[in-house]
Amino acid sequence: MSVIFLLIAASTLVAAVFLAAFIRAVRSGQYDDDRSPAVRMLHDPTPSTNSSLNPAPPPQGKGAIH
Amino acid sequence: MSVRELTTVTCYHCGDVCAEDHRVHDSKDFCCHGCEVVYELLNESGLCDYYALETKPGVKQRSSVDEQRTELFDLKEVRERIVEFSEGGITRVRFHVPQMHCSSCIWLLENLHRIEPAILRSRVSFTQKEVTITFREDQFLLAQLVKLLRRIGYGPQLTAAKESVNKSVPHMVYIRLGVAGFIFGNTMMFSFPEYLGSNTEAGLRTGFQWLTVLFSLPVVFFLSTEFFRSAWAGIRSQQVNIDQPIALGIIALWTRSLWEVITGIGPGYFDSLAGLLFFLLIGRWYQAYTYRALRFDRSLEDFLPLVVIRRTASGEAAAKVSELVPGDRIIIRDQELVPVDAVLRNGVGHIDNSFITGEPLTTRKEVGETVKAGGRQRGALIELEVLHSFADSRLKKLWAEQASLQDRPAMPRLIDQVARQFTIAVLLIALGAALYWWGRDPAQMWPVVTAVLIVACPCALALSMPFAYGHTIRLMGKKGLFLRDAEVVERMAHADTVVFDKTGTLTAREAYEVVWMGRSLSTEETRVVRSLARNSTHPLSAVLYSELKEPVLPVLEVDDHAGKGVVGLVNGVAVRLGAAPFCGGDEQPRAGGAAHVHLAIGGVWRGYFVVGKRMRPGIQQAVARLRTRVRVALLTGDAQLDAELAEAFHDAQVQTRCSPVDKAQVIIREQQDGHRVVMVGDGLNDAGALAQSDVGITVTETMAALTPASDAILDANAVLQLPMFLLQARRARRIVLASLGISLCYNVVGVSFAVSGQLTPLFAAILMPLSSVSVVAFVTLAVTFAAHSKFEPDGS
Repeated sequence: MSVIFLLIAASTLVAAVFLAAFIRAVRSGQYDDDRSPAVRMLHDPTPSTNSSLNPAPPPQGKGAIH
Repeated sequence: MSVRELTTVTCYHCGDVCAEDHRVHDSKDFCCHGCEVVYELLNESGLCDYYALETKPGVKQRSSVDEQRTELFDLKEVRERIVEFSEGGITRVRFHVPQMHCSSCIWLLENLHRIEPAILRSRVSFTQKEVTITFREDQFLLAQLVKLLRRIGYGPQLTAAKESVNKSVPHMVYIRLGVAGFIFGNTMMFSFPEYLGSNTEAGLRTGFQWLTVLFSLPVVFFLSTEFFRSAWAGIRSQQVNIDQPIALGIIALWTRSLWEVITGIGPGYFDSLAGLLFFLLIGRWYQAYTYRALRFDRSLEDFLPLVVIRRTASGEAAAKVSELVPGDRIIIRDQELVPVDAVLRNGVGHIDNSFITGEPLTTRKEVGETVKAGGRQRGALIELEVLHSFADSRLKKLWAEQASLQDRPAMPRLIDQVARQFTIAVLLIALGAALYWWGRDPAQMWPVVTAVLIVACPCALALSMPFAYGHTIRLMGKKGLFLRDAEVVERMAHADTVVFDKTGTLTAREAYEVVWMGRSLSTEETRVVRSLARNSTHPLSAVLYSELKEPVLPVLEVDDHAGKGVVGLVNGVAVRLGAAPFCGGDEQPRAGGAAHVHLAIGGVWRGYFVVGKRMRPGIQQAVARLRTRVRVALLTGDAQLDAELAEAFHDAQVQTRCSPVDKAQVIIREQQDGHRVVMVGDGLNDAGALAQSDVGITVTETMAALTPASDAILDANAVLQLPMFLLQARRARRIVLASLGISLCYNVVGVSFAVSGQLTPLFAAILMPLSSVSVVAFVTLAVTFAAHSKFEPDGS
C-alpha cells in the first residue's frame, strides 16, 4: 500500500504544476481583459474583398490628417 | 407648431436618426458631415469591415466639446503619463478611450496601421477601455496620432487627476482563488478515506491527516489574511463587521483541527476550512469583477482645459492654465472653455454657461465685458485678458465652497447591522453551551464551543450581499445605469425622495423645441424662415434651421447685424429674423429660460418663435411612476417652469432660480428632515448637490463625456428607466434579507448539532458548501427574475 504515497505525491505535483501555470497566466495579464481576445480571433487578418476594390490608400489620404 | 422628426432613416455610421435633408454618400445615409468624413476615411483605407462586423458601430462626431487641445500632448508631464516606451524614433503610448463599445471598435482600433503606415501596431484592452499604440514618432507626431483618433471618433481621454480607475480585477484576487481551489480539491481528496469511514491502514490515515495540516498552512497564513485584517480593523475602531465572526470561525476551525490531528482523536475539519475560504474568495472575486472601467471621481481640473493658447509679444504658444497670470492674453476658439476669469479684448463672445449654471442659451459678450471661468465660446475666435489666476477664479472658489459642505449622513450597511446581532448571538450561544457542558462534562466543553464557532461561521451570509448587489449592478449596467459599488444599491433601496435637476436631466442637452407664436405660417413662409436662418451664424438660427423641415430657398443680400438679427432677400421680399426691435415687434414676457426670435416679412411684424429646451419624451409618465413610490422634487436655475413640467411636478417641491449652492442646501434640508435623497443631475452646477445626496446620479449623453463626481452614471437614453432602477434596488435588498433568512436556517440547524456535541467533520463538510452554493444560487436567480419582472404600480 505504500505505493499510494508515491501516487499521491505524483498527483499533487501534477496539480501543483497546473496551479503554477495558472498563477503565471494571471501574472502575465491573461485575465485582465476577457472581451477583446474573444473578438479578435474572429477578425480576418487579411484585407477583405472591400479593400481589394479600393487598393492601398493613396499617399494624400495620409496628408489629410495633418 | 411643434416640429418633430418624421423620417426613420438612420445614419450608416452612428445609427442616429437622420434629418430629411441628410447627406447621402455611396448610397448610404449619414446624419452629419462628421460621420460622412469618417466613412470616407475608412473607405479610402479599405476598412469598411468596420461596418460589416456590427451594424451602425460608429461614434457620433460631436463637436470638440470636452476635448483638450492637441498641444497638451506635447507637454512633458502629459507625455510621461501616457508614453510607455520611446527609443530610436519608436514610441509606445497607452490611451484611455472610453468610446469603445463593440467588436467593430476593437477591430478598427487594431487596424489603425492601415490608415497610417507610421503606426506599427495597436492593441486594445477592452475591459480597461485602453488602446496601446506603437508608432514611428520620427514620422508621425503624438499630436497627429491624437488628431487621427479624434477624426475617427475615438479621441483619447486625459484627465488632470492621476489614474485611479478601477480597471480590472487585481491579480492577487485570481491567485488567491486559484490557490484556494487547489487546496480545497486536494484536501477533499485526502479526507476521502474519512468520509467513507473505511478501515484504511492507520499509517495511511495519519499520513493523509498530516498532509491536510500542511495544506492548511497557506489557507490560514495566505488566503485568510484579508479577513483577519478587516476583522482587526473593526475591533480597533470598536465596530462589529461581518469579517469578525468569519475570522473567529477560521481560527476555531484551524486550532480545533490541528489539536485533533496532533492528539490523534480525529481528522479535523481541514476540508471545511479550505472550502470556506474557497467560497469566500469567490465572493471577493465577484465583487471585484462587477466594477467597471468608469471614473466616478472627478476634480474641477478635469472639466477645464489644461492648456490654452497664450499670445505674447513673441507669438502664440500653448501654455498651462495653472501658469496663467493676470494680464496674460489668451486665445479661445469655437467650442473651447474659458479656463479663468477674463476680460474680452477682441472679437464677439457668445458664451454658453450651461456647464456652470444650466442656462440653456448663449449670452452675448462685447469687448470689455468679463467672461467667467467655465463659459464656453460658441462662435468665432476671441481674445481675452486674464483677470484672475486659476486658483483665484470664481469657479475654483465655488468648487471649494461645495467641497466644504457637510458630510452626508452615514448609512450603516445592512450586512454590518446583521453581523452585529449575529456575532453577539453566536458568542452568547457559545458561552451558554460552555456553561452547560462545564457543569455536565468538562471534557466536552472545548469541543462544543469550537464546534459552535465553526458551524456558525457566516459564510453564506457574507456571500449573499456581494452576489445579490453585484448581480444587480451588472443587470443595471446592461440597461444603462452604472453604479460605483454595491453600497450604492443599498442606498438606492433606502431612498424615499428623488430630486431632479431640470436642464440636461429632464430636458435633453442639444434638443430644442420651437413653438411659433402668431398667426400661423404657410409652408412657403416656413421655407423662407429656414432659408434665412441658414445664412446666419447665431446659435438660435442654427436651432431654427435644424428644427424647421421645409426645403430651403436661395437668399440674396444677407446682412447679419451682430446682436440684433439677420436680414435678407428671399423671393424678392425682405425678411428679418432677430430681436423684437429689429423686427418692429414688442418684447414679450419670457418663460423658463426660453429665447424669442421675432420675424418680419416685407417689413411687417408677423410674430415670434419661442425656442426652448425640449423635454425628454415620456418623462411625464416616468415621473408619475416614480411618484407612486417616492417623493419627487425639482430644482432649476430657470425663473419659471413650462406647463408640461409644472403638471408633472404639481404638489411637489419645485424650486426655481437655484444657484449651485442652493441646490445642495435643498438636499441638506431634506436630509435633516430624515429623508434619503437621490439627486439626478448632469452639469457641474449640480456637483455639490450630487456629492451631498445619499445617491448622486449623473446623466450623460455619451459615456465618453466628463461627468461630475457621483455614485452612479446614467445613460441619457435610460432616464425613463429610473423608476425601474429604484425598484430593482429595493428588490435586491429584499432578496438579500431573504437570503439572510435562508443562511440563518442553515446556521440554526448546524448550531443545534454543535451544542449537542454531534458535529462530525463529514457533516460540517457537507453543510458548509451546501449552504453557500444554495444561497448564491437563490440570490442570483432571484435578482435575475426581479430584473425581468414587470413594474407594478404598488407593493414595494
